[in-house]
Amino acid sequence: MRYRVVFGTFLFLVLLFAVAAFPADMYRLKPGAKGKICANCHVDFQDKLKRSFLHTPVKQGDCSGCHNPHTSSHGKLLEADPSRICQRCHEEIAPKKAKSTHKVVVEGKCTSCHDPHSSDNKWNLVKAGNELCFGCHKDLGQAVTKAKFKHSPVEKGCLNCHDPHASENFSHLLKTEVPALCTNCHKTDKPAFIRQHGDYPVAKARCTSCHNPHGSEKAAIMYANVHRPVLSKMCNQCHESPSSPTPFKVKSPGYELCRGCHSKMINETFGKNQLHWALVGKNGCLACHTPHASSEAALLKGPMIKVCGACHSDTIMRQESSLVKHEPVTKGECTKCHSPHASDVSLLMKNPSVNDLCGSCHGWGKHTSHPIGEKIRDKRNRNLSTTCLSCHRSHGTPYKKMIPFATSTDLCVQCHKQ
Amino acid sequence: MENSRVKIIVSIAVILLMAKVSVGAETLKLRHFQSVYADDKEVGFNSPEGVGCDEKGHILVADSGNGRLVQFTLINGRAMPDKEIKAPELSFPIRVRTNSKGEIFALDGRQKRIVRFSPGGGFIGRVDTADSPLPATVIPRSFDIGKDDFLYLLDVFAGRVLILTPEGKFSKIIYFPKGYEVISDLAVDAKGNIFLLDSVTATVYVATKGSGQFSPLTESMKERMRFPATITTDAHGNIYLADKNRGNIYIIGQDGSFKGEQLTMGWKEGQLRYPCQLYANDKGEIFVADRDNNRIQVFSTGK
Repeated sequence: MRYRVVFGTFLFLVLLFAVAAFPADMYRLKPGAKGKICANCHVDFQDKLKRSFLHTPVKQGDCSGCHNPHTSSHGKLLEADPSRICQRCHEEIAPKKAKSTHKVVVEGKCTSCHDPHSSDNKWNLVKAGNELCFGCHKDLGQAVTKAKFKHSPVEKGCLNCHDPHASENFSHLLKTEVPALCTNCHKTDKPAFIRQHGDYPVAKARCTSCHNPHGSEKAAIMYANVHRPVLSKMCNQCHESPSSPTPFKVKSPGYELCRGCHSKMINETFGKNQLHWALVGKNGCLACHTPHASSEAALLKGPMIKVCGACHSDTIMRQESSLVKHEPVTKGECTKCHSPHASDVSLLMKNPSVNDLCGSCHGWGKHTSHPIGEKIRDKRNRNLSTTCLSCHRSHGTPYKKMIPFATSTDLCVQCHKQ
Repeated sequence: MENSRVKIIVSIAVILLMAKVSVGAETLKLRHFQSVYADDKEVGFNSPEGVGCDEKGHILVADSGNGRLVQFTLINGRAMPDKEIKAPELSFPIRVRTNSKGEIFALDGRQKRIVRFSPGGGFIGRVDTADSPLPATVIPRSFDIGKDDFLYLLDVFAGRVLILTPEGKFSKIIYFPKGYEVISDLAVDAKGNIFLLDSVTATVYVATKGSGQFSPLTESMKERMRFPATITTDAHGNIYLADKNRGNIYIIGQDGSFKGEQLTMGWKEGQLRYPCQLYANDKGEIFVADRDNNRIQVFSTGK
């Protein structure tokens, strides 16, 4: 029995040693062949070796660190799936529970930014500096380039503020949170700074609620659209006095704060049958709008499709999975059909007549000879007249022409059984 | 011998357990019973958003687009038009409920006030919340009436449920749970438990009778739901949610377990388009304000 245990342990250790030793000389190359044998055929690779920065396995001539010289289930004879192979050595590149992660990192598309062999840029980057980032973030790149008022850290490099892989504790891949990130450079205790901010202790506020960190057409890199009280530095129109123990506390809750100036809009809203309930909820108008400044019109918190999609994600997803795309939804122009505050019509539609609403873009009288209108009853339901929505769903379906059935026959037999 | 006996006993136990689980998981089914389209003068409903019943079996319809309430009487199980209730104080009814005395309460969508009528349809007054804690602004999105005639008002402005006595005096306040998104509706069951429905996260919260706070009854059910916006309970403790955007009804157990989904979106009888208020009576019948089909639909429940 004892002999068996000793023998078993010995066998285990031998196997362990063999497994550990095997990768070091997995392919039993001839002496001196390592790092040279591949180059015999891949002669153009020599140019890559002349670049300033080489990937460590390349430098060591260890081509088989990533490639299998004989066979592989992956392209370029890679040893593993291209989206996973880098992680074998660079496992810790992104914290496992990061607050924000760069999409390409999650998708394992490391070669979008890095050359796996060599580069003339540090960290084997395929392009240098911001040019690399703006290759994907084109809109941002254009905005940064043409901004009249530039933010110097952006000019110097995106990596001044952002971590390219992931941020463990902060959103937007930020290296640290706002305002600490800003106060590294901007001294908030200077009298001029305090005066500029109306004596409010903004050192603890969120700078990016007014300032566009990527630069702007407006002085002080304010966002393109600024709320009038902010522009005129009348912060105390909404907030308590700067000397108050709670200077940032707003004077009234919810929509009531906005009613002071926007009474006409609020009164009109409350005069309608159907209210957008978000407007009277815990965040009031701020459910959709930002109170200080925004790059979006009407001080929206973001692009309309994102603002509306924050609550109505199912509607947005339905459009995304739809075979045919309804242009206003794709463009995020929800207010082409819906009144965002209130309406007398269900679903906050802008027009009580569905046919007239659709007809404002589609000219429905021309595209079909099917009888439609108030006087034509829906055969499925005597309380309904025929409208565009009798056959189509405006946010899309998985079927052609945004019809709610797989085939047009399935649709037509709903009413025309004979 | 001993071994095979054990195996047989274990097998029987497993089979019995599986049978029990299978019976327990049997879905409660909704069967279409009838659809109601118009009043006694054949005036068709226009976007009805509310429906409720009283203890005498009257059905009340909040015929929102026509700015009125319509009462029906159930005769041999069939809804027969009874009377129309109209008042300047109620221009766009969106929710309707009755108390044990047959008094009618309706929420006006335009004025954002709850209006009270006598059983005969005479205007009594508006529900007053002046003696409730601040803020003075109260925006009711929905309400329900308990078996004890207490009124539970969903105040979305201050994120709270105001509980008023049958006499209309302030009794208690329970704030919405931490982390809620958009609370669309509430329901009170026969035991006095209060349920809240968060449409954005598709989560049901509960405040058990006597409790001062809400806690989640379910996890987020967003994976299987789109925009559940209405909630009600039946005499057996089942919870029903109507999904406005998907046109169907989900059934949740008292313990928060998901017990199935019923009905589909469509125009035909038994199908729904943008369902609004639900009501479940003691006979196990479910009433649905089928808004975009301009009708009220009645379903019987069974396995």
